This record gives sequence, structure tokens and C-alpha cells, in this order.
Amino acid sequence: MNSPRTILLLLVALLVSCFGLAAHLQPQFEAWRGSRASGDIFNVVLGDSRRMFAQSFYVKADAYYHSGYYPTMFDDNAAFQTAHMAEDTGAVNSKNHGDEHGFLGPTRDWIDAFGRHFFPDHHTHLDEGGADDDLGGSDNVREILPWLKLSADLDPDNVQTYTVTAFWLRIRMHRVAEAEAVLHEGLRNCPDSYDILFELGRLYDESYHDTDRARNVWNLAIRKWLKLDPDSQKDNRLIFEQITTHLAKLEEDAGNLPDALNWYQAAQKVSAAPEALQAHIDAVQKKLRALIPVAPAKLY
Amino acid sequence: MSVILKTQKLRVEFRSREMRQATKVALNGLDLEVRAGEVFGFLGPNGAGKTTTMNVLLGFVPPTSGEASLFGIDVRQPIARQRIGYLPEMTYYYKFLSAEELLRFYAKIFGLARGEADKRIDRLLKLVELEHARKRPIKSYSKGMQQRVGLAQALINNPDLLILDEPTSGLDPLGRMKVREIIQRLKDEGKTVFFSSHELGEVETICDRVAIIHQGELKAIGGVHEIIGRHTSLEKAFLEIIGFQTPPTP
Amino acid sequence: MKNIFAVAGIVIKELYRRKDFYVLFIVTILICLVMASVNIFNDAKIVRYLKEICLLLIWICSLVIAVTTTARQIPAERENRTLLPLLAKPLTRPQLLFGKFLGCWLACGLALLCFYVFFGALAATREHQWPLLDYFQAATLHWFMLGIVVAMVLLGSLVFAAPSSNNTICFVIIVGILFVGRHLDQVALTLREPLRTVVYSIYFVIPHLELFDVRDLVIHNWPLIPWLYFSLALLYALGYMAVFLAGACLVFRRKAVN
Repeated sequence: MNSPRTILLLLVALLVSCFGLAAHLQPQFEAWRGSRASGDIFNVVLGDSRRMFAQSFYVKADAYYHSGYYPTMFDDNAAFQTAHMAEDTGAVNSKNHGDEHGFLGPTRDWIDAFGRHFFPDHHTHLDEGGADDDLGGSDNVREILPWLKLSADLDPDNVQTYTVTAFWLRIRMHRVAEAEAVLHEGLRNCPDSYDILFELGRLYDESYHDTDRARNVWNLAIRKWLKLDPDSQKDNRLIFEQITTHLAKLEEDAGNLPDALNWYQAAQKVSAAPEALQAHIDAVQKKLRALIPVAPAKLY
Repeated sequence: MSVILKTQKLRVEFRSREMRQATKVALNGLDLEVRAGEVFGFLGPNGAGKTTTMNVLLGFVPPTSGEASLFGIDVRQPIARQRIGYLPEMTYYYKFLSAEELLRFYAKIFGLARGEADKRIDRLLKLVELEHARKRPIKSYSKGMQQRVGLAQALINNPDLLILDEPTSGLDPLGRMKVREIIQRLKDEGKTVFFSSHELGEVETICDRVAIIHQGELKAIGGVHEIIGRHTSLEKAFLEIIGFQTPPTP
Repeated sequence: MKNIFAVAGIVIKELYRRKDFYVLFIVTILICLVMASVNIFNDAKIVRYLKEICLLLIWICSLVIAVTTTARQIPAERENRTLLPLLAKPLTRPQLLFGKFLGCWLACGLALLCFYVFFGALAATREHQWPLLDYFQAATLHWFMLGIVVAMVLLGSLVFAAPSSNNTICFVIIVGILFVGRHLDQVALTLREPLRTVVYSIYFVIPHLELFDVRDLVIHNWPLIPWLYFSLALLYALGYMAVFLAGACLVFRRKAVN
């Protein structure tokens, strides 16, 4: 029993039986893995807390947008409820109010007064050059991208991360292909997102000048938006207005005046400034009357 | 001969942190004098107060009462240590340094010029037979080699008084012989050596005078032969002085 | 002074013969190089995230080096019994303490120099510029902050029994000051008496290490700090170093060394 040969044979037998047991149990383990089967390392390591980190990195990106001049939890952050890097894209409802320049307030004591010389001390936006005060369209906004990318990786369901990233990639960095890739990734993770579809449409229209694709994508966005329940529609009027006005402009430029009129009228129903749209409606109606007075068809 | 080491009514008490334990008296009115040029043995059983006496002389422990001086200077003054060399009982030195770097460091403390320090380092490393290992880190040294480094650092400033705390502790017979030779050589050079030891045979051989301390009190002081007296050896005299009753031989 | 410099020299020798600094430096380099190799939308000019990661690692490593190196100085001397032959020389206890402080501080400075040179090189590969004055201000303020830390930890090594407890307590204090030190007065306003007075007192007494953390200014290319305020900050640091060292001398004066 104690001979080396016997021990070796026993070890080999043990190894073979372990291997056989593992092979036998493998299918059951595959079914049991659950969310681990996604293979996403963040999901496996962090679980649902990754969303908390994603939000932190999203805020970090906005802090970078301000070159570090950003309120902490102890400061007055009423003017930073909506990230300025998102607000400046023009595609979000802003909840900001208050003074974004003076969130620190007056100096409280000599230590506070002295300390303000050692951290960023005034409000700037990176797309305007940032702390260098180099006014004009600046591509320094590239610096927010790593944090947005990380935020998107950690929380793939946050639509705004994709739209903000794509906006700055396209508008400031002139990296249209990369912006399109980000939006497609966003659509893979959030297939019902009208925000992403709208931004994709803008990319096709403004960068590729492909009006047909833009039209198709915006129409799809409208159909997605219409599937929302009434309360959600009420909260998301801005995006509907933006899609419809862009469609109206597209149709107007393409000479499809009846469609353009329909879209302007649809936008006017939800707009916070209907008078501004009335001017566009009047202009289109004037063009229509100059052509053929045909009743426009209902599009939706 | 002038007195270079002196204690007068030296008393050291240690207050225990435990509330119930009484204050421990480590030294009780010690009067000691060591004259220039002599080799002085400081004897006593474990816990008698030998190391405490040395700690007071070196300024590690402040006396509760009484006085202690070296070369007429109060031991609490750092300048009192300018002319002494000290070898602690357990020798540990910066393990990341080599013997040469260690000696150079101590030479800087004593304010020796670079040239003079280099000469002394060479001479001392030759004396303690560590020339071959001068560049090696001390952590690679044997116990005996570390003891010899200790002796070298004690001699770096060419001291007039050498205080050695059990210099032959842990050494093999060859090591002990070398230490005795060094002490004899120092005596021949006119240095004063004050050392404690449990090796009474060595003390009997090399010391001029000895003091025996027990339970913090000086029990006897005088020349070696004076202490031995009617006994056949210093060991027997020591045992009688500290009050140890030798069992009768059957 | 020569005694102080002699002791300081030993501390510096110890730092570069131990592996701590090299391990931390290599780990920093590796992490930064991995981060630099990440492709972010095919844009090779993005640099600020890299600067932030590098500076964060530098701050963490420098604090680890400063605290652990200083915390073990006196306890290791006592434990290894190297303190006895040292104090048997004509070296006073204050000289020993100042020597240890200076050695640890200079060692931190040398480590910082290596880190910041790497940081400058890394940033220059993307920014193609060397704002030397900005880096000088940031590195100097960082170094003086470490001076306060070293002095504080040295005092802690004489007060606390074990180096591990000294390390932990000092790290907690340092991290706490860096994160919330600036806001303690705002926190105090939300509290009732007597807690308000206690927190206010803490606010005014603690060394405000966060003043020396100018990473945001370096990362986002803000203009230089006015030299007057820069100098005042250095004086502020020297003041706190003096206070902690004085405390350490007072504690060490009566401490048994054997």
C-alpha cells in the first residue's frame, strides 16, 4: 500500500474522477451562472453598485468640463443639478438654478480665504478653452471623454452618457465615425432610446448629409416616443419637440412642405415657446399657398 | 591617579505601571570611583544593578538622586560622552550598513575629519580582524563578527574611557581571548576600561580593581587580590560576598 | 548640525536600500503605462485623465513611504538596540529626532523628485510641453506637506506603543484632513453646541494638508499660484513641522531608551 507506484496510481485515479465529475456538472453550472454569464467584468466584480460608480464618473466628466472648479457635497450645488456638459448640448431639460459662479459663497474665515488660492477659483467650460481662457471653439473638451467612456461601460443603460459623448465627439472633436460607433453601442444597450436615435439622426443629417437615413432614424425615434405612456410623454416633451422640429426643417429643405407643416404643428403642440414655431408654420404655409393648395396627409 | 568615573550616593528607582507593585529600587546609594589607566571589573549577579549603573553613566536613565560624573562632567551633559566608548551587552547595528559605513557614521558624530576617520577605520578594522568583511552588510555577520564591530565602534573616537557591558558574552573561547587581548592592549596604551562580566576567571586575570554589587548596593570594592583575600579564587570570594551559602561537600 | 546630517544620511541610505520605494515606483509606472495605452476614441491627445491617475498614485505612494518610513525609525532603533550605542555618543536626543526628521523628509523629497520627473515625462508625451514652474510649485507644496506628515508621525512614534497603531492612526488622520479638512467649518455650522465648538476648534487646530494638494491646478493647466501665497503656505508648513517636532522633543526627553 505504501509503495510509490500505488500512491501514484491512486493520485491518477483521483485526478480522473475529479475531471469526470467536473465535466458531468459543467452544464448545470452554465445554467446557474446567471448574470455572470454576461462576461462583463464590471458586472461580475461590482454587481449593481457599478451604477453608483458610473454616476460618480459621469459627475467627474462634468468636473473636468469645468477644469476642476466644481462644488463638493458641502457646497451649494443648485446650479449643477444637470451636468453642464449635457446642458450645453441643448438636448436635456435643465434643473439648474442659482449662481454657478459663486457656489463657494463668501469666504468664511482666513483659512478658507487663504485656501482658495490653491484650487480652481472661477467658472469655465472646456468647450470655451477652459482655464486657459482661450475663447472660441476649443477641442479641449476631449478631456471629458475618458470619464464618459468609463461611465458608459459601468452603466450601459444610461442614455445620456451616449448622447453627450457623441455630441462632443462630433461637434468639437470632428470624430464622426467614433460618435456613430458610440451611438450604435448605445442602441445595442438601449434599443428603445429615442434620445440616441435623435442624436444619430443629427449625425446623419449634419455630418454625413444623408437626409434619407436621418429621416428614417427620426421617424423611428418618433414611433418609440409614441409608445410611452401619457405621463412619460409629458415629462419628455423637449425631445419630441426637437425631433419634430428637425424633421420639419429636413422636410422643408427637401421641398416636402406638407410634411414640414405637419411636423411643425406637432412640435407646436408640446413646445414651451409655441410663438416661435408659429413663425415657421406661417412661412411654410405661405410657401404652400404659393404652390398647390393641397390638404396635407396625416403622417401619424 | 585622577578619578575619571565617579558616582556619589547614586540612587535609581523605577516606578511600576502596575498599581499594586511597589517602586523598584535598582540602585541604592552607590559610591564608586574609577581611576585613570586602570582596568576595573564591575561584578554582580543578574539583576544586581550593573546595567542600570552603566545606563546612568551613559545618560540613558536619569538618577533619582545622587550624582554621577565622567571626567568631572555631569553625565547628563552630552559633552561627557565625547571621550568615552561604549559596547552594549547585546550588539545590534544597522543591518543595512557595512562595517566601514557604520564606523564612518560614528566618526561623523564625533566630528572626525574625513582623512583622520579613514585612517582610524582602517586601523580598527585591522585590530578587530574585519578587514576582509568591511564592505559586507552587517546582517551577514556572525555573532562574533558583530561583537567585533561593536568593539570597533566603541574605539572609533580613541576614547580615554571604555565602558563594556559583558564584552565576552556569547563568544567562543577564541573570541574571548581576542577581547582580552584588546583590553590588555588598551590598558598598555593608558586607557581606562570599565566593564561588567560574569566570566570571573577573565576578571581575575586582567582587572586591577573590582567592585561587587548585589541588589543595588555596593558590597565590596578594591584590588582583585584584596577581594579574593583568604579565598582560593575570585569566584568563591564573590559567592561569599553576595551571601550565597555553599552547600557542604558530603 | 553635523550630527543631524549624519543621522539623516543613515535614514536616506536605509530608504534606497529597502525595496519599498522601488516597488511603489515600478507599480506606479506600470499602472500609468497601462492607462496610457488605452485607446479612447482614437484620440492620442487626451492627457488629463492620465495626469490625474499618475498624480493620485504619486500621492498615495508618497504618503505610504512617508508614514511607514517615519513610523519605524525610533521603534526600530529601540527594538534593534541600535539606539543605545547611538545615544552613548555625544548626540543629544533632540539632535537624533531632528536627524530622523530631516532624513525622512529628504528621503521623501528624493522619492518625490523621481515620481514627478516620471509624471512630467508622461505628460509631455501627450501635451508636448513642460510647465516647469507649475510642476515646481506642485512638487514643493507636496514635499512640504510630507514634512508635516513626517513630523506628525515622528511624534506619533513616541506616543503610540506599536508602529502599526501609529501607521493606522496617522493614515486615518491624514486621509480625513485631506478629504474633509476644508469643510469642517461648514460641518460645524450644522451642529449644536458644544459639538460645534469642538469641531470648530479641530478645524483651526489641525494642519490643513489639503492646502498643499494642488493637483487640480496641475491637471487642468491653471495659472501659477501667486508666489506670495506659495511662500506663505511653505511657512505655514514649517510652523506645523516645528510644533510637532517640539512636541516630539518634549516626549522623547523623558522616555526610557532601554
